[in-house]
Amino acid sequence: MGAESTQTRQGTAAHDAAALARLVVETLHLEIAPEEIDPDAPLFGGELGLDSIDALELALAISRTYGLELRADDERNGEIFASLTALSAFIAEQVAT
Amino acid sequence: MSLAWTRRPERGSTALVALMAWLTLRLGEGLGRALLVPISLYFLATGGPARAASRAYLARVLGRAPRLADLFRHIHAFAAVQFDRLLFAAGRAGRFRLDCEGVEYLQRLVEARRGALLLGAHLGSFEALRLLATRACPVPVKALMHRPPPGPLTAWLARRDPAFAAAVIEVGRPGSMLAVAETIAAGGFVGVLADRAPRPERMVRVPFLGAPAAFPAGPMALAAALGAPVLLCRAVRIGRAHYALRFEPFADPLVLPRAERAAALAAAVARYAAWLEAACRAHPFSWFNFFDVWDNDAATAPPAAAHPGHPSAGHPSLGADPPGVRGGVVAGGAGLDA
Repeated sequence: MGAESTQTRQGTAAHDAAALARLVVETLHLEIAPEEIDPDAPLFGGELGLDSIDALELALAISRTYGLELRADDERNGEIFASLTALSAFIAEQVAT
Repeated sequence: MSLAWTRRPERGSTALVALMAWLTLRLGEGLGRALLVPISLYFLATGGPARAASRAYLARVLGRAPRLADLFRHIHAFAAVQFDRLLFAAGRAGRFRLDCEGVEYLQRLVEARRGALLLGAHLGSFEALRLLATRACPVPVKALMHRPPPGPLTAWLARRDPAFAAAVIEVGRPGSMLAVAETIAAGGFVGVLADRAPRPERMVRVPFLGAPAAFPAGPMALAAALGAPVLLCRAVRIGRAHYALRFEPFADPLVLPRAERAAALAAAVARYAAWLEAACRAHPFSWFNFFDVWDNDAATAPPAAAHPGHPSAGHPSLGADPPGVRGGVVAGGAGLDA
């Protein structure tokens, strides 16, 4: 049962990562396809060239879409926004709790 | 270059600031104020790049070659505002007179429980604006700022007045922009100095005092992302212990349509620059930028090459802004530390 729930959660996370990539592309008007974003590459300060205002727009879009709150004083913000995978894991964790 | 200020430290030694503060607080403001003259002369004699920028600006705003007396007046006006910061921090803000225009715009927002973004400039005193907030504003007021290695005056002020440090949202941290959004969502006001970029970022060249000048795009992008009302604000020193404050509506909200985002952004920056130009013409000695915004290199040089050693590398956080194509964090400005 434990194994099953882990598997389900992983499945959801994988689904969310694709949806999240679409959200990133749509929100920030990026001129690339969602699948082209390397899920493990840095979102900010990397090849995507995203900046802190993009991060704000993304955070606001995530709040609206997933109904969860990203807080300015969260010490993990650096980690949470490190990559698509990290962001997706964070959302999955927040939605689950 | 207009971004050079990020590398130019606040001038003045810790000992000098401490001495000024001691003399003023023990022996009276008259003495402190009198000392501003030799201090200004000293900075006039030694302040190379700042003096050159002052000269370039004054030539445009005055429409003639500035005389030495004009340069002195500009520096002395800056020193007088810095001196007032010292008095604010020393608890002597009470007898400052604040003439306010346009406060009704703020009042309406407060009544409607709506937060707003306040766009200011290195014009007059950002801290006199904050003085109004401490006197009469029922909602939180914060300043989004770049925090350079603190200069002696800023360090002294921070020790004297910890509330000021608490009211600063620092640019370049994970969560900086979220903190801005949270403050505004809670009905508060966040001030940003939008005439200078805190670090290499996308600049927009718009007409300013007769020639294209580089202004940061970040503040407008932030305003649009927030979707909150945007006001213009300034607090100019017009006499001893006397400031004129003015608030004007700018946009509610600022919309940058997707299809014409770049043009709309440039138009918003141009509108801001026109407001700043009018303020500079009305108070020519009160714009304390001291960096050449008309310098072509600032906007045309490749950012990576122009700013070697930019600390964003290896800093993959929310606040890390690459000097890349879309690089751009909001301008803060370090209060009035030049």
